[in-house]
Amino acid sequence: MRFPDLVHRRYRRRGFRACAALALFALAGGLGGCATVPPKDSPAYQNYVERNDPLEPMNRYFFEVNRGLDELVLKPAAAAYNAALPNPVQDSVRAFINNLRTPIVLANDLMQGEGDRAYITLSRFIVNTSIGLLGVFDVASEIGLEYHDEDFGQTMAVAGMGSGPYLMLPLLGPTNPRDLVGKVVDFAFDPLTYVGGTDTRIARTSVDTVDYRHRNRKTIEALEEGSIDFYSTVRDASRQRRKDEIRNRRPQDDQTSPGVIFEDDQ
Amino acid sequence: MKTISSAVSLARRAGARAFAAGFLILAVAWQPAGAQDFMSAKEPGAFIDELGAAAIQHLTDKTINSEERRSRFRDLMHKAFNVPGIGRFVLGRYWNQATEEERQEYMRLFEELVVRTYADRFSEYSGEKFAVGKVQRDAERANYATVLTTISRPNGQSVRVDWRVRQEEDQSWRVVDIVIEGVSMSVTQRSEFASVIESKGGTVKGLIDTLRQKVQGA
Repeated sequence: MRFPDLVHRRYRRRGFRACAALALFALAGGLGGCATVPPKDSPAYQNYVERNDPLEPMNRYFFEVNRGLDELVLKPAAAAYNAALPNPVQDSVRAFINNLRTPIVLANDLMQGEGDRAYITLSRFIVNTSIGLLGVFDVASEIGLEYHDEDFGQTMAVAGMGSGPYLMLPLLGPTNPRDLVGKVVDFAFDPLTYVGGTDTRIARTSVDTVDYRHRNRKTIEALEEGSIDFYSTVRDASRQRRKDEIRNRRPQDDQTSPGVIFEDDQ
Repeated sequence: MKTISSAVSLARRAGARAFAAGFLILAVAWQPAGAQDFMSAKEPGAFIDELGAAAIQHLTDKTINSEERRSRFRDLMHKAFNVPGIGRFVLGRYWNQATEEERQEYMRLFEELVVRTYADRFSEYSGEKFAVGKVQRDAERANYATVLTTISRPNGQSVRVDWRVRQEEDQSWRVVDIVIEGVSMSVTQRSEFASVIESKGGTVKGLIDTLRQKVQGA
């Protein structure tokens, strides 16, 4: 068997399995679930494999749902948030939410064996909780201890686990099975799971989302403006972004991932 | 203040209109020479540094209109970017399938899309600082390098931008990709175009029609 055949089979099987597992979702929604697999010899097939999006029809449907919700709820909420709160207060909102996330970030720093980053996370928490008045002021950043995020999805990726197929979920947005499982694990490290009720959690997540939407409004706008298939742009950009987070925002290494090389130079 | 106003009135008295016109011609004539200078940079880091300075100097001017900004952007892009190479890369596997006419029309529309998407962004410039950091040379290919830069806003936020550059036959460096916070513009656009082609029955013509609509609408 030729090597490429092996690769194709593996991908095909993986795609099929994922598709079967998630067909339940699709059935529940009454939607046509899986993308048609293009014939093997076509360029479309290569692209299909790279895209890793066997549930594309369902994902596109939820993408449109999310865009509708964004237009109706999130965008106006973000605008109102910006109008109601001056910038320093917005920064305090962000600082407070980030400080609350410390146990999640710290646990995953440690699980990834990132001692220096764990040290930064812990120092930030001590500084911001005390001098920063329970996390309302991000004093730590001003003394060179910058915030970074971590989650269990990233920890699994660092341990070598693949992401599985692309998923676009209602409300949750772009993700994949690995990161979805990661979210459940992170739940266990979230202090709000133990302190405060469901209302507190919902409030925190809502404010977090609104603040994030507001901060990224220009990027989202620019992406959409330059795009002729926004679903595809979001799929690709969010996936690359995720890989960047997993690398801890370190620049790509040209040995493992060389970036753009023209065909004639290969 | 007093010296300035007296200098202005002095200049006016000296029939400054001719002087101003002369200065304008000088500035216009000087521009290509300046651009040539930055293209002659021998090192990728110096090239990106000078490209950044040139972009801030020519594109962020608040007094020019959108048309002028786009035309300046186009000039700079043709000098500093390998536009044909990027266009071909972005079309990916479908380049070989396209006819000669399709390739030409695609290249024209692709360039137009890039100009319309990016040029106007420079009007929002508000004192961002552009700093060149490390330069990573490819171990395997001496003609490729990645220049790591940071663009910092006055409010303290910063954006990581990596410039993928390739050395041409004439030894000058040209940009082949921009990676913003880990997201490659060329790679993202390539999968987007593939996606559009496949949804339009697998023909490059389908992409060309979509691009034409987009460019005319923008």
